[in-house]
Parts: sequence; C-alpha cells; structure tokens
Amino acid sequence: MATHSEINESLQAFTENFNKNDRLKLMNKDWNRVVVVKATDIESVHTWILKNGVLKLNDGLTDDPDLTVISDSETLTDVFYGDLTPIEPYNNGTLRIIGTEDDITRLDFICLMMWGE
Amino acid sequence: MQLKRVLTLRTIVATSAGLTLASSSFVAAVMAANYVLGDSAWIAILIGGALCFMAAACFSELNGLLPTAAGIRLYFSRAFNDQVSLVVSLLYMLVVVIGVVGVESYILSKVLNEAFPAIPPYFWIVVMLLLVTALNLRGVKIAGVFQDVATYSLIAVILFLGLYALYNVDFKLNAPMSPGSAEGMINAVALGVFLFVGFEWVTPLVEEVTQVKQISRGMMIALGILSVVYAVFTVAMTATVPKEILIASPAPQLVFARTVLGDFGTPLMIVIILATSLKTFNAGIISVSRFMYASAREHVLPAVFSKISMRYFTPWVSIITLFFIGLLASGLTLLTDRYQVLVGLAAAMESIVYTMAGLSVISLRRRMPQQERPYLIKGGYLIPGVTALVFALLAVAVLASDPSALLYMSVAFVVVLIYVKTAVPRIKKKYEAGKPAARRRPVRSQENTEGK
Repeated sequence: MATHSEINESLQAFTENFNKNDRLKLMNKDWNRVVVVKATDIESVHTWILKNGVLKLNDGLTDDPDLTVISDSETLTDVFYGDLTPIEPYNNGTLRIIGTEDDITRLDFICLMMWGE
Repeated sequence: MQLKRVLTLRTIVATSAGLTLASSSFVAAVMAANYVLGDSAWIAILIGGALCFMAAACFSELNGLLPTAAGIRLYFSRAFNDQVSLVVSLLYMLVVVIGVVGVESYILSKVLNEAFPAIPPYFWIVVMLLLVTALNLRGVKIAGVFQDVATYSLIAVILFLGLYALYNVDFKLNAPMSPGSAEGMINAVALGVFLFVGFEWVTPLVEEVTQVKQISRGMMIALGILSVVYAVFTVAMTATVPKEILIASPAPQLVFARTVLGDFGTPLMIVIILATSLKTFNAGIISVSRFMYASAREHVLPAVFSKISMRYFTPWVSIITLFFIGLLASGLTLLTDRYQVLVGLAAAMESIVYTMAGLSVISLRRRMPQQERPYLIKGGYLIPGVTALVFALLAVAVLASDPSALLYMSVAFVVVLIYVKTAVPRIKKKYEAGKPAARRRPVRSQENTEGK
C-alpha cells in the first residue's frame, strides 16, 4: 500500500513531465479538463486542472471532474510514475476511469506520449 | 463530486438501438421469415427479442459488477481466464467486423448500383469506407442530439412504413400460431437473434453515466422497441411481397418500399439504407479501432496498432487497417455473392458470446460472491443458465445448418487460437525486453511499501 504522499509525488512527477513537454502542452491547449484521482484503499484525493495546455495539481477535491481515475494506491503510484501501462490495470479491472470514452482515450494517449509503450 | 457530462437514458436507448439497426437486419428478417410458414415470422422475432432480453439481463449484471469499457474482455477474463477471454474477444471482433461490414457493404453497393446502374457496385463500397475512415481519422463525431434524432426518426419511419403496408393490404393474421417445423423455427429464432446484434455494445458507456442501472434500462427499452418494429416490418414485408422475391433480393426492404409506396419508395428506402449503413460502418470502426488500440497497449496486438495521430488523437494505424479489412471483406462478398453465409456466421458468433455471458454470470457469482452487484438477476441461476443453454443450442443450429459458416468459424477459431498461443507471448516478451531496467518510482517508496 502506498501512502498519500507517495501518490502525491507520483502525480507531481507526472505534472512536471507534462508541463516540460512543449508538444504535449500544444496538443492539449484546447482540452480543458478537470481530472480527479482517488485511491480506494487509503484516504487520498487529488484534482488535476488542465487549462490552456498547463497542468496544475491540487491536493483534495477542488472542482467537479470531467474524468475520475479510481484505483488502489499502489496502482495509482505506479501508473503515474510511468512504471505501469494504465491499460493493463484498466483491462483487468483494478483501475477504473469514469468519463467519456474520448477523454479516457486522450488520457491514455498522454501517458503513451510521456512514457512510451 | 459530480461528473460534468453525463449521458441521458434517451441517448443510451438511441445508442443501443442505433448500433443494432442495420441494413443487413432486414436481410436476416427475411431469411428468418423464410424458415417459418405463412406470416408467423413475428413469433421467431419476438422469441429472438425475448432471448436477447435474457442476454441483456446477464450483461447488466456483469456490467454492474465490473463497470468498464473493456466489456467482455474483462468479464470473460475474470470468469474463465485471460486466454479464453482473449480468444473470444479477438474472434468476436474479427467475425462481427467481417460479417457486418461484408453484408452491409454488399447490400449498399447493390442498392446504389440499382439506382445508378452506370457506376460499378464496388465504387460505392470504396466511397463509403473512405468517407467513414476519413471521419474517424479526423476524430469527427456526430453530435449526441443529432444522433438521437436520426435514430428515433429512422425507427419511426420504419414502423410507420410497416403499419401503412399492413393497413393497405387489410392484413389479418392467418394461422398465427402455426409456424411450421421445430427445426425451421429454431433456425428462424437464431436468425432473429441476428436482428439484435450489437445491443450490448452500449455497455462501454457505463463510464459516462452516474447510475449503472441506466445502461440496463436503456438496453431493455431498446430491445423492446426493436422487437416490435422488426416484427411489424417483417410481417408487413411478407404480407406485401412474396417471400421468394424477398429472399432473392439483397435488399428486400427496397423491394418492399417500392411495392408499397411506388416511385417514392425507392429514394426513401435508399436514404434509409444509406443512413443505417453509414451509422453501422461508423460505429463498427470506432469500436473496433479502439479495441485494437487497447489490445496493442496491452501487448496482445503488435505495438504498431497503438500509434496515434498527433493532430487528431485518433489511432490511425488501427483505423486504416480496418479500412483495408473492410475493402477485402466487401470485395470478397461482392465477388462470391455469399452474403447470407456472413449473416449466419455473425449470428452464431453473437450466440456464442451470449452463451459465455450467461456462463460468466454463474462463474462470477461463485468467484466474487461478496462483490456489490447494482443489478442482480432474480431467480438464482435460472436466467443465466437458460441463456447459456439456449444460445449454445442456437449457435449449434446455425452452424449445423450452414456448412460454410461452420467452416469459416472453425478456420477463424484455429487462426485466433494459434495467434494467442504463439504470437501473443512473443509480443509480450519483446515488450518486457524493451522495458527500462530501473523503475521510475523512487526506491524509497518501494521500501516503504515493503515495510507496510
């Protein structure tokens, strides 16, 4: 089981990588979304706000989400550090994402571009 | 915490009914009518619809238990094992894509060729596939409200046309409960099931609703509406046009519309066929290209299928591959004129998937007894058991009555099985070898984890 701060660090790492990647920022400049990341086994909720191609991470629930990513703390930490492809836990039911199909696919595309296959 | 965008029941019903309503459905309806005596095709269609209700109940329980867009890939993986799930999912995609695209494009090309005889039929197939491929490559989606209006209008026109024809011929049921031999009835019911192919493809939308039960309700309402519409339309077709003329035509609905409405019937039905086929092609390419993309990301298909367009965020390699598969399937169908085999093939495959859905409900009740089920089928194992048994019998009946369908299904099964047993482990091995040696997650975190 990972801790809240470990999840936070993985999300921070993801946020930094996203904001350092000019291509990703440009590609997502019109995709303004609120993404909530919630752990199932510990008390841990984070809110990502993507606006004009810039990603900002908030601790806790700060806005109504377009997308909600739900999983256990270990899976969330591994996925957002890029050690685990999100599609694997998604397809085996460990990771759940609530939102439109297009938004879910876009989130996976971002992970693919950031971490590769 | 509330989702900003949620789907309404109206859209769920329209999506489920829209995925099901295809030009090839009318070919299957006429084939079903041909197996039974007189005007009793409605019995086979309503039984087919009722059986699909049971399958829908199984999908509802599975969908509530494991709410995911991965659908049967996850249900079967949990209920049986990953290899079984992979074989069935790949086979399902392959057979349904080739079957539905083959039949739809055949019907469409024949109909348009009749309207514009100077243009060769294959030209229309290429144009339609190019159009749908281009839309998908650019990620163009039809707006939800427009899609709802189009689907409901289509259903209303088809129902009106059926009722108008029945009124015109002063229709009265002749020997309504005498459908003929049991064998003919079983085959008619199996083909009746084909009419509802795809109703369950709405389950991936579970991630876009606030209440899982809405998906179940939507599927059931769509099945109810379609059962009535198909039954009325099929009876109207056979009451208006002799069965031997309908069965000989690749587009019986066109023959029927022309008989009922005269000159106005042809353009009206061409518009309906165009709209339904475009919608079917589009839904097929969206669903299957996403499945191919996800499979490539999961390392069960070659990595090339996970390539995405940097401009439109669409899986372009998967979409273009499907374009060529569609061209090949429709070209072969046009060349051989054997579109009815594909209907049987798709009906059998759908029956196999519904059988496995019933078995999955039973298996998962044993494997995951404590898991919350927002939708639980009442009556214990009765409905999932009957679903599994009846659809298994229907699959056998369809394949036994059509040796070509049995041959194609067997070949496809062997090819997919060999692929899963030999190629998939290689792809996974290659992926593992290419993975970075060190994890990105700091070691400190892992030590913490071990300590807990």
